[in-house]
Parts: sequence; structure tokens; C-alpha cells
Amino acid sequence: MKRLTKALAAFTMMGGLVTGTQALAEPFKVGVCYDLSKAYTFATPQVSQAAMDLAKLVNMKGGIGGEPVEVIVRDHGNEPQRGIECYSKLSREGVFVFDTLSTPVSLAILPRAMEDGRILMQSLVGRGDAVDGTVFDWVYPIGPTYWGQAANDVAYIKQLHDGDMSDVKVGFVYFDYPFGQEPIEILETLSEKEGFQLDLYPVPLPGSDQAGVWSKVRRDKPDHLIVWMLGGAHVVASKEMQRNRIPMDKYISVNWLNEVDIANIGNEAAIGLKRGTNVVGGPDVALRQEILAELYDKGEGSGPLGKTEDVFYNTGLAMYSIVFEAARRAAETDGLPITADSYKAALETLEDYDANGLMAPITVTAEDHGGGGKTRIEMWDGETWVPQTDWIAEYSDVVWDVVKESSSKYQQ
Amino acid sequence: MFYRLSGVHHANYVSDSRIFKVPADRNLTAFIFLIGLAAPFIMPSLYLNSYMLPWLIWTAAALGLNLVTGWAGQLHLGYAAVMAVGAYSAIHAARFGVPWEFALIIGGLASSVIGSLFAFAALRVKGLYLALTTLAMQFVMDWVLTHSPAISGGSHASLQSPTLALLGQDITSDTGYYYVAFGWCVLVTIFMLNLKRTGLGRALVAVREKDFAAAILGVNSFYYKILAFATSSFIAGVSGALLVATFFFLAAPEQFSVNVSIQVLAMVIVGGLGSIIGSYFGVALILLVPGLVNGIVAGGSEALGMQINVETLAHIPNAVYGALIVIVLLIEPLGLGKLYGNIRDYLMVWPFDQLRK
Repeated sequence: MKRLTKALAAFTMMGGLVTGTQALAEPFKVGVCYDLSKAYTFATPQVSQAAMDLAKLVNMKGGIGGEPVEVIVRDHGNEPQRGIECYSKLSREGVFVFDTLSTPVSLAILPRAMEDGRILMQSLVGRGDAVDGTVFDWVYPIGPTYWGQAANDVAYIKQLHDGDMSDVKVGFVYFDYPFGQEPIEILETLSEKEGFQLDLYPVPLPGSDQAGVWSKVRRDKPDHLIVWMLGGAHVVASKEMQRNRIPMDKYISVNWLNEVDIANIGNEAAIGLKRGTNVVGGPDVALRQEILAELYDKGEGSGPLGKTEDVFYNTGLAMYSIVFEAARRAAETDGLPITADSYKAALETLEDYDANGLMAPITVTAEDHGGGGKTRIEMWDGETWVPQTDWIAEYSDVVWDVVKESSSKYQQ
Repeated sequence: MFYRLSGVHHANYVSDSRIFKVPADRNLTAFIFLIGLAAPFIMPSLYLNSYMLPWLIWTAAALGLNLVTGWAGQLHLGYAAVMAVGAYSAIHAARFGVPWEFALIIGGLASSVIGSLFAFAALRVKGLYLALTTLAMQFVMDWVLTHSPAISGGSHASLQSPTLALLGQDITSDTGYYYVAFGWCVLVTIFMLNLKRTGLGRALVAVREKDFAAAILGVNSFYYKILAFATSSFIAGVSGALLVATFFFLAAPEQFSVNVSIQVLAMVIVGGLGSIIGSYFGVALILLVPGLVNGIVAGGSEALGMQINVETLAHIPNAVYGALIVIVLLIEPLGLGKLYGNIRDYLMVWPFDQLRK
């Protein structure tokens, strides 16, 4: 045991030294502890590639306050224990901005980040009630919560029916575990408020067998389907829908649906499919074009070009535009070096920031760490995503009731 | 030579049934115990907090599984579920205002009750059938956790653990957490060391080797199997509760999912069935090596200035780690504990055994 302990210590110190000597100037570092090998690999490669590309672009333009920025990407395999290890290691090396893109790991790091005063960016993952800045000082789930996203989906359906939902039937198809169950409460509240009928269709994990679910949907004939599933489950769903002759345009997915899924569903078959999103879909966004010109055309991209055509690449660009924009502001107002406190203050100055038309405008305040939670509905037309609504954040009073109710339980 | 046997004579039963028959074993253990005690002062807090602490708690848990799988010979694939029962009951009790000392015991007892209740049904079958039945328990528990917000703590399924306090002292420092984990691991280790030399331990081994032969000898095999399940579940429950109280600070279903069950079983098998020191090694290999290899590979590629894709970088450690497990089991199918045993046996007579060859 002794020998082993010594060997462990020696090995890790070696690792620490090697990475330690890299830091010549003191760059602004972001700890990107991602799951690159297990459950979240449908999105993490694109998002981390976007983060690294954006960091390169920022550095080409002179960095932040004259200092370079650095994203440190590490794999945690979606294991809370390894996520904590990644967090502890990097935070001792002076990193104070973390992102996990994994709900279990985000949950595991949250108590530590709150205790240590480190910024935890957790866009699109983790506990949704963390948008309540009065309780979760150090957590910034910038982007929509699943609650807000579901509410916006309902608002879109309401638009389609000219404001009268009394004879509308909405089906909610969801993974039967916390990720999918989260929006149920808000949908039930809205169903009472707006008078539409809500039917629940739980899909057992991992979603590869949905035959029973969709024949039930066929019998019930809902007018719209709000779908909270991931990756391959969308493809299974689309096959079952074709089998049961349910038109694809009823399908409104959560933001986790990308071009890979579209290709697997079949380009033609996917026409009419909709999804909620907080970033602009498609490869034409200005920031991506700039990255292509500056990096990929010169062969300096951080990964294959194909991955940049994915909507999750845009999601990554959006997430890290916010991270670097806040760092820039912190350097501007409080000077270098950027500290956790100055960074936190800078985050809360973001107002209607949309990264040059890349995403829904966000306004972060001390109370609302989510930035407003705006999303829009986009439809796949066979070639690209066509927006169906403006950036909206509806029913925010209902959403915040749920947020407050949930966040109040955090402090016993 | 290092494990000198000269002058070691067992003239009566008491001396023959001592825990450490060779003085060197006792000295080594005492030395390691002292290092463990001094760890907070000689070790950087990162290693203490991110490696030593989870290692000790998981070792305690793995020893519990070793009791039922290694000693009593019953394959158990739902161990994480039992840990979850302990963790959730202890936290709910603590949140309700029960002092932590009792909350931990409540957690242990709850696990014990549910674990042995399940064993009542499961033990009607043997071998692989038992493995599948215990796996079913894991899935039942997963389902209960993800479908009862009252237990799992709201729609996010995360339950905050109140501040740990033992004997009237709030425990909030890294050192404090470490000593709690260390204390529990030492307790379980002492229990397991003593188990070997009690009637219970011998009965369990008899049941493992051939349960009907044990029955003929007057050992009620069903009773002892249940007892093994109950005891190991108690250890699992307290370990699960401590894992949340000192390391995760909140409980979430993913922390006790089916792959965790398989990991604990892997710890026990790689370490060596029925080996105490093996459990320590096994946990280190399964729990700590992935992160360490990850750090080394990432650091190494950076130092060498290699441009490796982050995805590839993430998969290399997994491959290395998988290869390590295979290599260990190829070299010594009885696990890391036996590997240590081989070295010890070699050194025990070294250099005199060389004369024979």
C-alpha cells in the first residue's frame, strides 16, 4: 500500500509539473472538464472543438488584455468522481471558470464551486434552478432551462392556434429519467392555465425500443408532440412515426438534435421536423465563417472540418463567446489579472449580448444567471434550419415560480 | 528475509490464531497506519482530497462486497443499489435533524434490512441466477430513485447533504473529511481481519466452498448467507452515506447506478476475492488509474508538443486502463492481492530458497 501511494503521488506530481511548466505568461484559463468518452459524446467533441477554435481566434487577435487565453480540455468519462478530480486539480492550478457539459458531474462539482468561489458555467446541463442567482451565487447556467424551453414550445403552439388552446392536444414524449421528467411540472401548470390537454408518453431508457409508445400516440392523435430525448432515440422515434403514419411536422424536439440525427433520420424524411434552440442553426453564422477563414483554410483548425457544420458546434461557439466576452469585460474594467470576483461582476454586465447574431440575446443579472432563457423554434426544410418564431421567453412568471420553489429547497 | 520467521513459534491456540503471525506483517501494517494518520500533513491537499479520500471510502465499500462475494461466495451485482439505500436514508435522517452518528447507523441498518430482505428472495437461487436477481435489485432501485422525487430530492434528483458533524464537531475541512474516511476504512479493515478467525468467517468459507457440504457439517447455509448479505449491506450503507457526506456533498442517482455496481465488483475481482490488501489495490486500480493515466497522457502529449485530437486523447487512457486490467488478470488470475502474496512468499525465504535451485 505504501509503495503504491508513493508511486501514485510521484506519477501525479510528474503530470502536474509537466503541465505546470507550460504556463509562461499567466493566461486566462477555462477548465473544460468534459465527457469525451462515454454518454455525452454526441455533443462534446463539437463543443470542445468550438471552444479551442474560439480560443485560437481570440489569441490571434491579441488575446484578452494582451494575455493569451487557454482552454484546458480534460476527459472525465461522465463519472462524478473523475469530474471532481478534474475540478480540484485545475482549480489548484489557478483555473476559476469551469464547464462540464454533463449533468451528473455538474451536480457533483456544484457544492464545491459554491464553497470555493469558482465560476461554474453549466449551459444546458445541471440543475435548472441554478438560474436563481440569489441562491446559486457562483453558478451560471446561461441559456434556457428545460423548463423555459418547454414553456416556449407551448407558446409557439399557442401562436399556431391563434391564442386559443382549448381544443388542442399536446403529447409529451420523454426519456423516463430526470432529464426527461424535468419539464412535466411546468407543462402541467401550463396545461391548466391554457386549457390544452396534455398526454404523457414516457420512453424507457435507452430509447431503442419505442414501439409501444408510438402506437399509443397514434391512438391518442395529439396535435403536437414535444419531445425530450437525445441522439439515436430521435432516429428510432422517426422510424416509429413513419410506421404509425404520424406526420413529422408535429415533432418539436428539445435542443439536443443535430445534423447527425437528421442524416440518420434521412434528409427527406426529416423535413418539417422542429426543434427549440438558443443558437442559430446552420453553417452560415458570421463567427463560424471567420473561424473557417482564419483557421481551417490555413490548416490550423482544432479538429475535422465536418464537425464545424454541426449545430452543436454553434452551441459551443455561443457558450465560449460568452466565456471570453465576460473575460474581456473583466480585463477592461478591473484590469489584469482577472479574478473570480471581477469575472463574476463582468458576467453580470452582459446585456442583450448575442455574439454577433449567433444566439438568443442574453441579459445576465445578479438575480437571473440564466440570461433570460430565450429560445426559438426552427424547422428543418431539407437543407437548413428555418426559424419559425422570434427569440422568445414566454410564461417567465410560471417558470420562475418553479425555479424559486426548487431553489428554496437547496438551502434546507 | 524481510519477513523473518525465525523465532516465531506457536505453542498454543491463542498465539496460532493471532491476526499477524509474522512480526514483519504487523510492523508493516503499523507503519502504513501511521502514514495514513500523518497523510494530511505530508500530502498536498489535492491528493488527500481527490485520491486518498475516495480511495479509502471505496475500499471500505469494496471490503463489504468482498465479504459477500469473496468470503461467502455469493455473486452480487446490485451493490451500488445497497449503497444508495444507505446514502439516501442517512441524508434524509440527517436533514430531518437526527445527529449524524445515528443517521449513519440508520443508513447502515436501512441498507441491511433492504439488502437482506432482497437476499431472502434472491437466495432461493444460486450462482448466475443469483447474480441476475441482484442485478434486478439494482434496476428496481434505479427506478425507485428516478421516479420518487420525495426520495431523490425534487425534479433534478439531487439531494443536498447537511454539514457532517460527529461528536458535536462540525466537520468542514479536508483534513476532517479525510480522518472520517480513514477511521471508517480502518474500522472495516479491522472487522474483516478478525472475521477470518471467528466461527462466522469459517462458516462463510464453508458455505462458499460447498453449501450442502457445509449443511451436512451443521452449518445452516441459508442463515449464514443472509447474515453475510446483512453485514455487507450494513458496510455498504454506511460507506455510501459517508461517500456523500464527505466527498460528493449531494446524492444523485448516477452516483449509484448499475455501472458503479459493476465497478465495485471489478474492484473486488481485480483485487482478489477474499483478500483484504487486494481490495485496497483493486480499488486503486479501478478508481484512480483512469484519472492518473489521463493526466499523464495529457501532460505527456503537451510536453512533447504533440497535436493530438482531444477525443483520441480521451480514449487512450481508457485503452491503457483496459489493457492494465487484462494484464493483471493474465499475470495473476487471483488478483492484485495474490500478486502481493507471491512477492511476500518469495521474500519470506529469500535468499535461502535460491540455494536449492
